[in-house]
Amino acid sequence: MNGMRAYVRVVDGVNYRVGRFIMYGLFVMMAILLWSTLSKVAFEPSLWTLEMAQFALVAYFMLGGPYAIQLGANVRMDLFYGFWSLRRKAQIDALTVLFLIVYLGILLYGAVASTAYSLGHFRGEPFAFFGALFGALVTGGPEAASAEMGHLERSASAWRPYLWPVKTIMVIAIFLMLLQAISELFKDILRLRGEDIPGPRGSRP
Amino acid sequence: MSYEMIAILMFSTMMVMLFTGQRVFGAIGFVAVVAALLLWGDRGGYDLGFSAAIKLMKWYPLMTLPMFIFMGYVMSESRIADDLYRMFHVWMGGLHGGLAIGTIGLMVLISAMNGLSVAGMAIGATIALPELLKRGYDKRMVTGVIQAGSSLGILVPPSVVLVLYAMIARQPVGQLWLAGVLPGLMMATLFIVYIAIRCRITPSLGPVLPKEERDLPLGEKLRLLRAGLLPLGIFFAMMVPFVNGWTSLVESSAIGAMAAFMVAVLKGRMTWVVFENSVRNTLGITCMFMWIILAALAFGAVFDGLGAVKAIEGLFTERLGLSPWAILILMQLSFILMGTFLDDTAMLVIVAPLYVPLVGALGFDLIWYGVLYTITCQIAYMTPPFGYNLFLMRAMAPPEISLGDIYRSIIPFVVVMALALALVMIFPQIALWLPGYVYGN
Repeated sequence: MNGMRAYVRVVDGVNYRVGRFIMYGLFVMMAILLWSTLSKVAFEPSLWTLEMAQFALVAYFMLGGPYAIQLGANVRMDLFYGFWSLRRKAQIDALTVLFLIVYLGILLYGAVASTAYSLGHFRGEPFAFFGALFGALVTGGPEAASAEMGHLERSASAWRPYLWPVKTIMVIAIFLMLLQAISELFKDILRLRGEDIPGPRGSRP
Repeated sequence: MSYEMIAILMFSTMMVMLFTGQRVFGAIGFVAVVAALLLWGDRGGYDLGFSAAIKLMKWYPLMTLPMFIFMGYVMSESRIADDLYRMFHVWMGGLHGGLAIGTIGLMVLISAMNGLSVAGMAIGATIALPELLKRGYDKRMVTGVIQAGSSLGILVPPSVVLVLYAMIARQPVGQLWLAGVLPGLMMATLFIVYIAIRCRITPSLGPVLPKEERDLPLGEKLRLLRAGLLPLGIFFAMMVPFVNGWTSLVESSAIGAMAAFMVAVLKGRMTWVVFENSVRNTLGITCMFMWIILAALAFGAVFDGLGAVKAIEGLFTERLGLSPWAILILMQLSFILMGTFLDDTAMLVIVAPLYVPLVGALGFDLIWYGVLYTITCQIAYMTPPFGYNLFLMRAMAPPEISLGDIYRSIIPFVVVMALALALVMIFPQIALWLPGYVYGN
């Protein structure tokens, strides 16, 4: 139980800080789009704004996801759920959150494979590839690591950005989301054990 | 197992999982990725969930979502629309039911500045509701007006619901928004006609404002009109560059969000609390929408892969021998029925992969159908036992308004909305004329 409590404290704390930070990404997106407008009207249109804004949006909603779970922003269908007692909610949630965990797990696998692809690893086990990559990075530095990588994936646009940075962010975000889902499971278990765990910080507005 | 069976199995599993009350995106995403894994396994089954994320990233109009959500929160939290209410109060107070009519006008203006119905509800329930009750307006009339009026937020552009529909139906957002303009105004007019007639028959429902309260000097009255310039200013700052092709839709949304933010700052209303609430809620709501769409895209991709839509279309047209119109009307009826107990995002996700391709296959215009879809969502927002606006109203309304009042208050307005839905169905030009006119040139 102590382990669970510690896990919840650490994961919720990390995700809270990440969420509070990425929350202001809204203004980054706004700035990129306004710059795009300005540059279009005043001088040469920028090539990079469109994709940069898209990357920013993905980082915003993915890294913000765990914090949104903490806020209780995600809708649930409350046809029955709304009428249950807190204990019943915790019981059912402790089971059904496993769906969420499975979903996020498969999503994470897809994200890791896609990131491996963006670094030039086209078939086979992505985790082994990352193992070799990190191994090379630790033992031989960046040059050895780049020898492990193949053709780097670029976006098919005029700006042609590399895709691995945004995909790496997505991998991290989905991983944090998975940690948060497990934290929700632990919280429900602790609640069922009779501990007083506060619910979401703010309900859905 | 045949593909139809798999499709039915997927749908029923998802419905059962939604009823357990787990987060909607978790239930939908789970069914999607597990079905993909079982169906295709090594041949792309693993990546299906994540390739939806890449699709989401590449769909540029989705950028408008956080912008419009932020705009709505800035407006409802900072109360920059308060002056608008006074304007309608003074100018419309002389009519029977004039304040209720003014409230509808207020809602149209607020709808033109944000993409959800939350801002309209918040402003309506905190400013208009107490005022109208104080003036002796019938409480059922008032709650009905506010719920119906605020639901215009998702039909009058900018509309978040239409952005989501556009993503699922693969239609241009600009055309969809323009298609929403006339039906939105028509619906507002129908509301006003209803209120005017109802209050003429029973004047006690909406008493005339006492003369001394609205007998301001003309200069003062004109000064109040300036309040109306604010939303129009924000609206035109956003729409003029877009319609003229100077900016893209997405860039316009950023201009709108910036304009609303600047107005709040200049009016001295952007306190730290307002700022914190707007920014935090924007993150929460954006994440909610994006994660649901992420899961829904995966679900839709599995469905596409099954080719289930063709089979269902065949079932209706060939085996049951129904005409396209009969199918459309049946679909709409089932849609309203589902809307009474489903959340609108859940509705889009469940219905869209099935209904939207079917509508396309039957030869109907998907832009037009987007408007029908949105009006149905509006009705769904308001119909008991489960409606988004109903819940908001219950949370915001003063204690003298009971749940029964709230439920009964919406009946006439739902009838009016159903009438508007029928009108748009019979005369598609109401929706399609404006986008045709703008994009035809």
